[in-house]
Amino acid sequence: MSKYIKTIVMAAVAVLAVAFPFYTGAYPQSIAQSVLTYMILAVSWDMLLRTGQISFGIAGFFGIGSYAAVLSMLYLNLPPMLTILIGGIIAGAIAGLLGIAVLRLRGMYFAIVTLAVAEIFRIIMTNLKGFTGGPEGELLPQLIFQGNPYLTYYLMFGMAVLTIIISEIFLRSRVHYALTAIRNDEIVARSSGVNIFKYLVIIFIVTSVIQGMTGGINAQTYGFVTPESSFSLDYTLLPLAMALLGGIYGTMGPVVGALLLGIVSEYLKLYIPYGHLVIYGIIVVIVILYMPQGIVGLAARIRKAGARNE
Amino acid sequence: MSKLVLQSLTKRFGGLVAVNGVDLEMTEGEILGIIGPNGAGKTTLINLISGIHVPTSGNVFFDGKDISTFPAHERSKMGIARTFQLIHPLENLTALQNVMIGFMFAQGMNQKDAGVAAQKTCESLKLEHVERDVGQLTILETKKMEIAKTLACGPKVLFLDEVMAGLNSDETKDLIETVKRIAQEHNLAIGVVEHVMGVIKMLTARVIVLDAGEIIAQGPYNEVSQKPEVIKAYLGGEA
Amino acid sequence: MKTSKNLQLTIVGIAAAIGILLILWKPSVLIYGLQGAGLYAAVALPMALILGIVGIINLAHGEFMMLGAYLAYWFSTQFGIDPLLAMIPVLISMGIVGVITYKTTIHRVLGAPELNQLILTFGIAMVLSQVVNLIATSQPRKLSLDYVTASAKVGELSFGTYDFIFVAAAVLFLAGLLFFLRRTKLGKAAVAVGQNPKGARLVGINVDRTYLIIFSIALGLLGIIGTLFLTSHSIFPLVGGSYTMKSFCLVAMAGIGQLKPILWGSLALGVSESFIMSFQGYGGWADIVFFAIIVIVIISRAYKRTES
Repeated sequence: MSKYIKTIVMAAVAVLAVAFPFYTGAYPQSIAQSVLTYMILAVSWDMLLRTGQISFGIAGFFGIGSYAAVLSMLYLNLPPMLTILIGGIIAGAIAGLLGIAVLRLRGMYFAIVTLAVAEIFRIIMTNLKGFTGGPEGELLPQLIFQGNPYLTYYLMFGMAVLTIIISEIFLRSRVHYALTAIRNDEIVARSSGVNIFKYLVIIFIVTSVIQGMTGGINAQTYGFVTPESSFSLDYTLLPLAMALLGGIYGTMGPVVGALLLGIVSEYLKLYIPYGHLVIYGIIVVIVILYMPQGIVGLAARIRKAGARNE
Repeated sequence: MSKLVLQSLTKRFGGLVAVNGVDLEMTEGEILGIIGPNGAGKTTLINLISGIHVPTSGNVFFDGKDISTFPAHERSKMGIARTFQLIHPLENLTALQNVMIGFMFAQGMNQKDAGVAAQKTCESLKLEHVERDVGQLTILETKKMEIAKTLACGPKVLFLDEVMAGLNSDETKDLIETVKRIAQEHNLAIGVVEHVMGVIKMLTARVIVLDAGEIIAQGPYNEVSQKPEVIKAYLGGEA
Repeated sequence: MKTSKNLQLTIVGIAAAIGILLILWKPSVLIYGLQGAGLYAAVALPMALILGIVGIINLAHGEFMMLGAYLAYWFSTQFGIDPLLAMIPVLISMGIVGVITYKTTIHRVLGAPELNQLILTFGIAMVLSQVVNLIATSQPRKLSLDYVTASAKVGELSFGTYDFIFVAAAVLFLAGLLFFLRRTKLGKAAVAVGQNPKGARLVGINVDRTYLIIFSIALGLLGIIGTLFLTSHSIFPLVGGSYTMKSFCLVAMAGIGQLKPILWGSLALGVSESFIMSFQGYGGWADIVFFAIIVIVIISRAYKRTES
């Protein structure tokens, strides 16, 4: 029964999302696109979290993808769609090398390295002045789809759907068992035949490709990159807060969290242009202390408790 | 031919020698008791065989092949399975799903086949409530699930690290019968670590006694338990 | 054993050779490297204390130092006192911040998975830097103090001497912490708690109180170093972030629970950075050095672990 309801709700949301641009102006549409961007990042962050590994490097891979897309277009004259793919591939390749190097030690070691990723690539992009435009960044001569807002919206929407599908496939296939086992107890997982290193590296690459492609789409939509905006802390903190608030270890939580916080964040940005991130910091702290299962987890518990009382 | 052969297996942690020059052979269908005072190196020995630790020196042979440096998941696929002293069922999964993991990853089955196979294994162990979350199982059910998880890896050699701990006498009898039965059905070489000597007596044909990482005696339990060095090791360990 | 001793000798030999070459070629690199190393070591030591004893990787580490610096700025501008004098109220305030932070947040995640601890302290870092951003804006602040510009001249070479204060601070911190952990009752209890919390509880040590005190001491030390930092650097809300990473890098290099090797690690980090900065136009690359070190440290640790 609840499965049908879930499907119906999902379908309704999808229809709404597709029809959305036709009934609203440019401003709500750009908000919707930014919500979708954060949603993708939040879901992808959660996908890696399911292995028990925390990445603080979302902004890093997002920025790498942004730069790769813009630079490959400027220097190689590639078509915009291809540059987005290149953004993903380069982010994935960097994640692969980094993962092979550091994923033998996990937990805090991995978390710290990811924390440094955004910082490092921001420094590289700032200092490779001849190639990347230095602190001022680079501007694209033209926007993707000649700046057509409908098409850029659908591009990001397509990316979000793709991410959700990948996330659901991971949740329903043997990958889910491997990841849950690794998160619970690595030694037990290894003794049950799970090659944990392989799974960790693969998931790290897949999520980084997603983050890199999202950065690529974003850069192509707005037509520029700068070290400060492309590696902005927002891209790490917001998705993290969204996934935590919505509920971790599933697709639904990050999606719900992104919808909620994404809309709120746009208004916060208007009213508190500097320092609106404090709200997300507080959300992260409160959620981790008082409701680690998030909104979706809380709802499930209330439903269960209700069922038990009947 | 012996399924598992250990040759002067040694493991040091810093200055501490946890396992020291252990030679051992295990054959199929045999249940071997591994006893010794606390800290004698029993669990470390199992860790070395299952690949959680890499030996400082010495070798582990399985089916005549030197597997001393193989990673744990490779050994699990080859047929070396073990339980853990501190049971750690995988949370957020049902008992059945816990058992499915071995079938999927150690034996390479797909999800559907693994589900069927896990169901069968649980039935053969008379493990009910397989759809329950692991947190809701009784102690006996949890222990049976742990054994089912090892059987799911398709073992040829199996180590049970204090699986009887925490059970009452009826439950212990139940589990002893279960272990005997799976040893025969699957033609396994089983190594059993236990502190309760009654269990060792009922289960095993041969025991090894470890003390400070070395085998100080081996043979049938009734003989070994009379040896002065064994008595001394136990008394010394308690004093 | 023998090979590791040979290895150590080789490393010391190489380091000495590099040192001598630097003295001949670019003496200023060594001087500024030493000063930078002092700062890194002084910031990293409190992290080593928290990580080694409370067992929490505090991702808000650099942000607490930043908070200390802003507090010092506030005390010194508000009451017109020298920032070095402001160190005392800052120390006390940071101790109180430590108690509050521990009681309201850290305390609650001690038993929780590492995941929760990492996310929590990351959240705290965000709250701290953004609250300061809201109150003080992102505009950099700097005090102009006469004594900071003190310099010395050796032969042709003239260099600032004030920053040696960080070296002094690092050495004092280390000596003080070693004395505290080895000679005092509380310190010994803390070491016991760090090694085995359950065992410590069994022998009657109040584990929770020990955690609280250690955490607050670490934050107090960060207050001191924040004050010193303010005297010779400009501060802004995000200034602390990279110090969290650098400190972790040093602690990981030294080995968790170790204090003394942090000095050597800092020296390597400080000198390498100042070496890169000595090339005109390439100074911006200096921050990448620590990243290379982190990755090398982690790879070598991973390798060591599979050995054992």
